[in-house]
Amino acid sequence: MSRRYDSRTTIFSPEGRLYQVEYALEAISHAGTALGILAQDGIVLAAERKVTSKLLEQDTSAEKLYILNDNMICAVAGMTADANILINYARQAAQRYLLTYNEDIPCEQLVRRLCDLKQGYTQHGGLRPFGVSFIYAGYDPQTHFQLYQSNPSGNYGGWKATSVGANNASAQSLLKQDYNGDCNLKEACGLAVKVLSKTMDSTNLSSEKIEFATVGKTKEGKVYHHLWGAEEIDALLKEHGLGKAKEEEDEDRMER
Amino acid sequence: MASGYDRALSVFSPDGHVFQVEYALEAVKRGTCAVGVKGQDIVVLGCEKRSAMKLQDTRITPSKICLVDNHVALAFAGLHADARILVDKARLEAQSHRLTVEDPVSIEYITKYIAGVQQRYTQSGGVRPFGISTLIVGFDKNDKTPFLYQTEPSGIYSAWKANAIGRSSKTVREFLERNHKPDMNREDTIKLTVKSLLEVVQTGAKNIEIAIMAPGKPVEMLADDAIEKYVESIDTEKQEEAANRRPGRAPGSGTAAILTRQSGEGSGA
Amino acid sequence: MEVLLGITGKDFTIMASSKAAMRGATILKATDDKTRELNKQTLMAFSGEAGDTVQFAEYIQANIQLYSMRNDTHLGPPAVASFVRGELARSLRSRRPYTVNLLLGGFDSITEKPSLYWIDYLASCVPLPYAAHGYAQYYCLSILDKHHHPDIDLETGMKILRMCTDELRRRLPVDFKGIAVKIITRDGIREEEYTDDHVVRSA
Repeated sequence: MSRRYDSRTTIFSPEGRLYQVEYALEAISHAGTALGILAQDGIVLAAERKVTSKLLEQDTSAEKLYILNDNMICAVAGMTADANILINYARQAAQRYLLTYNEDIPCEQLVRRLCDLKQGYTQHGGLRPFGVSFIYAGYDPQTHFQLYQSNPSGNYGGWKATSVGANNASAQSLLKQDYNGDCNLKEACGLAVKVLSKTMDSTNLSSEKIEFATVGKTKEGKVYHHLWGAEEIDALLKEHGLGKAKEEEDEDRMER
Repeated sequence: MASGYDRALSVFSPDGHVFQVEYALEAVKRGTCAVGVKGQDIVVLGCEKRSAMKLQDTRITPSKICLVDNHVALAFAGLHADARILVDKARLEAQSHRLTVEDPVSIEYITKYIAGVQQRYTQSGGVRPFGISTLIVGFDKNDKTPFLYQTEPSGIYSAWKANAIGRSSKTVREFLERNHKPDMNREDTIKLTVKSLLEVVQTGAKNIEIAIMAPGKPVEMLADDAIEKYVESIDTEKQEEAANRRPGRAPGSGTAAILTRQSGEGSGA
Repeated sequence: MEVLLGITGKDFTIMASSKAAMRGATILKATDDKTRELNKQTLMAFSGEAGDTVQFAEYIQANIQLYSMRNDTHLGPPAVASFVRGELARSLRSRRPYTVNLLLGGFDSITEKPSLYWIDYLASCVPLPYAAHGYAQYYCLSILDKHHHPDIDLETGMKILRMCTDELRRRLPVDFKGIAVKIITRDGIREEEYTDDHVVRSA
């Protein structure tokens, strides 16, 4: 029955719903999990990488985590191609703000700019909504560390810990169970790998399968963001007893 | 049935409906409830607020009550993202109006503007209507008369003494019709707003948001514990009323019919 | 013969502007306000081509206030200064540029420091501890050079301001009808009573 209201552009169904938006949300629920955790002294973003191959350049092909600005990074769940458009837009918006006001755009404003664009695609004709949800992590002097999530409808909200993508319900309940508001960045990283290890389909984690990034402050009080390299991720996994030893993995592959 | 006429964006069906606009009203009804009440020289907005989940960051929760200008507050029901866009347009107009005529917008003017934008989205090509209704309140410059307007997705706007939009707005409006009195003072106005919201908000103070506008003053967002006090006093009043009713029921069998009906109403609320 | 002065101290910025509105050698009004409040903690004083000044100031004011309404937060003084400078630079390269000189006084609620920006009609923008526009520059900067210190309190600031206005009255050939003084602190912008009826003799 719903077929009449979902085929073309985004219009209201008789119950006042926007099916296109709901379907976009559906698409995202099949994407790789991404999560973010707010700590006292920083934020961690982590994401499950779906495409893994020995041949993939590890350093240059980030699939899920992107830098938006000097003070902000984001994780993506959904259609990566759509995400690229939005990320490009956000980067431009951030730079335009920097040009005008000579300071970094406050996090909420950047999130809102992106969400206003997303909203536009749910209201103006002929276009389908963007099929991506974002988790944003950033810092600004007014509100300090902040974690946001946005979805295709153009809604957004602030979170202490959140997740999107496949298995996000179970990830969310794990976070709810184990999140501690006073945790530091290190503990937050620990929680992030723990949650990922429990929600990901594959049984063993490795740096190929996940991406990791943090926002924090240096000793001098300067804000930094950092996309983790493979060695760092492996070290973290090892620390929490989740990573598989390298040799084992190689054996695995040979058997295959 | 009216095949096609509700799909092409906003066109008339043979029986004279613009379906997209009617469906947009459904989206409004799915939104949480918002109430506006006028007093003598005060006007109050109340909103049902979804309770924050444990992991939500309470520092950053987009509110359903927003300021269009320092003297105009707006509450909406419906799609949040749509509201953000509409409010942004209104804010731009409010400042642009100040720049061109050196006066802040009158409440009627900004209402007309917002309704005008909503109307345009029911008639222009390739867009869907805004899925929101709004309540706009405030005071004009050098004027102590409170204003309360409502706008709808169709672009209709109307002035009210008290009104509600969103989920269960009908129940709340009926309650307001029964209980609204002209020239209420500050306390009574706030109390009536809270009381009317309690008709549909079961969970009490933590799910209510209240904004108060008085002439020449900035908007006042009521703190949670202040709302809690109103809720408590309303509860005790209700209990007292119920207590007063009970003894009256036993002796007079003649009035029993009326009393039962009243108590039935009470439990239904 | 317009006078604009700005002095910062420990926890305040004083903004002073002459009260005479002049056209050529004629004084049209003796209670002119050459300032506009941009937001709670930023004040802009302007001088220059009549008409341009108010037009530009109110355009900026509307934009800064729009920012405050839209984002539910105030732009800090450095951001306001960048914005104003940008707008002026854009106008400068248009067919008919604004000729306005500006002082931007503010209090930064994040760093808890007063701030003052000197901006001229060529869109140069300099943060300064004290600044002046017009003829006031010739007479006041030397006084400020000698007496100003970043840690002065408001009383000392007002004393230095008194020295400056006395010198202006002593030296300027035209009566500028006294000055209006506004002070920006942590709590916002307030007007300060400033009587200027004592006799100042020229040498």
